[in-house]
Amino acid sequence: MYEELKNKTGLKTEELFSPVAHSDTESERIAAPRYSYWKSVLRVFFRNKINIVILCFLLFVIAFAYIYPAVTEYDPYANLMDTTGKHLSPGGAIEHFGFNLKWILGSGASGEPTFDAVWNGARISISLALVCAAINMVIGVLLGAVWGFSKKVDMVMMEVYNIIANVPMILIISVLSMLFSPTFWTMVFALTIVGWLGIAYFIRTQVLIIRDREYNLASRCLGTSTFKIALKNILPFMTSIIVTLLATELPSYISYEVFLAYIGMGMSDMSLGRLIYSAEAAMVTPGWELEFWSPVAIVSIITIVLYVVGQNLGDASDPRTHM
Amino acid sequence: MAKYILQRIIKGILSAVCVVVLIMILVYSLMERSVIFAGDSNYSKTQSNARITYEQTRYEAFGYVDYVNYSEYINELIKRGELDEESRKDAAFVAATPEQDSETAAAYIEKFTQEYEAGGYTVVRLDADKKTNGRVKDGGQATIFATRDKPIISRVISYFTGIFFIDNIHYVDESTDIGKRGLTFTLHDPLYGGEKFSPAIIGNGTKHKYLLYFDNKFPWIHQNLLTLNLGESYTVNRGVDVFETMTASQGSYVLSTVSYPTGHVEQSADDLHTATYAEGSLALSDMYAGRFVDDYTHTITHKNSMSKMGYSFVIGIISTILAYALGLPIGILMARFKNGLLDRIGTVYIIFIIAVPSLAYIFLFKAIGGSIFKLPTLFDMDSGNKLMFVLPIISLALPSVANLMKWMRRYMIDQMNSDYVKFARSGGLSETEIFTKHIWKNAAIPIVHGIPGSILFAMTGAIITERVYSVPGAGNLLTQAINKYDNGVIVGVTLFYALLTVVSILLGDILMSSVDPRISFTSKGR
Repeated sequence: MYEELKNKTGLKTEELFSPVAHSDTESERIAAPRYSYWKSVLRVFFRNKINIVILCFLLFVIAFAYIYPAVTEYDPYANLMDTTGKHLSPGGAIEHFGFNLKWILGSGASGEPTFDAVWNGARISISLALVCAAINMVIGVLLGAVWGFSKKVDMVMMEVYNIIANVPMILIISVLSMLFSPTFWTMVFALTIVGWLGIAYFIRTQVLIIRDREYNLASRCLGTSTFKIALKNILPFMTSIIVTLLATELPSYISYEVFLAYIGMGMSDMSLGRLIYSAEAAMVTPGWELEFWSPVAIVSIITIVLYVVGQNLGDASDPRTHM
Repeated sequence: MAKYILQRIIKGILSAVCVVVLIMILVYSLMERSVIFAGDSNYSKTQSNARITYEQTRYEAFGYVDYVNYSEYINELIKRGELDEESRKDAAFVAATPEQDSETAAAYIEKFTQEYEAGGYTVVRLDADKKTNGRVKDGGQATIFATRDKPIISRVISYFTGIFFIDNIHYVDESTDIGKRGLTFTLHDPLYGGEKFSPAIIGNGTKHKYLLYFDNKFPWIHQNLLTLNLGESYTVNRGVDVFETMTASQGSYVLSTVSYPTGHVEQSADDLHTATYAEGSLALSDMYAGRFVDDYTHTITHKNSMSKMGYSFVIGIISTILAYALGLPIGILMARFKNGLLDRIGTVYIIFIIAVPSLAYIFLFKAIGGSIFKLPTLFDMDSGNKLMFVLPIISLALPSVANLMKWMRRYMIDQMNSDYVKFARSGGLSETEIFTKHIWKNAAIPIVHGIPGSILFAMTGAIITERVYSVPGAGNLLTQAINKYDNGVIVGVTLFYALLTVVSILLGDILMSSVDPRISFTSKGR
């Protein structure tokens, strides 16, 4: 074959093989394609077109909940003296007040536009969920990691967990809202003072599962420090777990706020929960149903979208799906 | 194994004690006391010194403080015989200022102060509150009282020593003359006319008159020798124990022909077997005098409906059974036909239930059930309509079904990739056989752990479901107690929940180890 090639091209032997200059960097290069974790996460996440739609929808809802109340003026008692402006259906409200976006869901018990009330409530509820989730996740994940790694801490914390987990949450919240006034920040304090414990316990269990795997054992044998094992070996494993957890935590705070408001222990701000609580009687009154169902619908939409986006992001952040 | 279980029980009781201590600190120390007067109309009516003493008596009633008034002390002295009736008036009179006290009064006030300050009390003397014209204001009379915060340690100790009450013949104050104290055993219960064979133990000097008796109600034999005191209610159900509040029947009275100890026969709802001692009640009421011969006059009445716990338990247990009967097979089928139609619908359902606030879907199902299926949406104890149970049961089952579906599917899929499944498949077993005989048994083990808990917690009821459908269950007990500052009930209910948690986790572990022989709690087995 070599002879054949030589005859065909008419080249000399020296010209068929040319020496390649030695390069240290080239010889160290790994031929596999470059892998970036977060790029892969986004690639997998956006591979599913439904995710793009839901994400856009989520961003729209959140942006609307923050921008709309900021650019419009909302005074729930502006129409208090207008006796004919209360409990109107959308058609009636538009007829009564003239067409405006804010009347498309009718008016409420004190003549306030339901649409404005719902979005103001949504802003408060989303803020509460974001703040509580941020605080609880940071404290919970950090302490959970320590809890999982140290056997001494584990012994103490398990007992603490057994005790605190048995104290009814509503009792803590009601005591705190009696100590301070039931404002937004009291509610944040009440939801975070023991809320991190459940997350920390969950993370502790996950750390325990991964901690003693063979690759960590091997890593330890090679002399890797515990801190580095936690950071490089375990944290990447935990990313998808943490994202999935966040996906369940965020909507759960909104739901919990609704629950608390319904049993009369909510905060004083007109959040979605308070709206549902105060409009409960409107549910069974013919013609007033929108006052009740609008906040219920909005809260359901927000929680579902948050949950679905979070779950799919959690799936995408699992490196095993990056093939 | 027995040693391990004993250890677990002791540990569980210890953590329950810690929970109670924590709750007591929360309730009695952190919570602002004065909130109890927010809805109290008597408080705004009283003024000046009377308001201060009223505050103290209410604090005592809510269990915050020990409070003794000077006049109570004087009465106590007379009862003990240390003070005679003649000097009583002199001693009991508290003058406008300490300088104006009579000599006897000053001496007794000094004695009172010393005695109670030694016991850790603070003695307060309120001088007469006078108007500008020198006359005493309404409620402004001078008064002396001693008060102290109940220390948390003695509160905890007295709570736990009082949980189990063993009835004894020394229950009634020894100084009270009630005739011969003792227990009598009879084969013929006098309540049935004294001829029918029905053994009973009757006590005199005890709290309950009937300590052991038979009747026609489940479980037919009843005892009052050992009773449970979880915590006494101060406001909601005054003087009644939490456990009794949960288990006492509700509804309208059931009348039957009752012959009272005096021979008086009447249509009444009184259950004479439940008679308890109420000091001096016979002399105070003509009504009692015509019916009873002793001070055992306080009876529980027969009512036609279930107790709070009964309603909660019936609804809870049916929905739990429903949840397991639906959730497990659907979860298995979802895993069996992964990515099929059922799996997709099931996943949507799970997402819906997890993400949407429970309040929202309960209301949604209430609206659907009420308008489309014409089911009753409000609970009415007296109607006797069984259909009113349907919507609460469904509402309660919805989240548990979703939860069981989710976990069953997860565990099944996790097992599907194990080596033993691949081996079984290579051995030529059909997929159905692999699923029903191999995977299901392994996947069900973690599910088994939750069964005792879901059964036990069916008793406690569900707050939202019961409220939405106005079910008279036990779910709102805690929230109601918190809203009315009923501290005894708060502590009692929390202890009850804590004990249920401890027991259900322990039972779950035992059940799991009996289902799966690989799980052993003794180190020997490993």
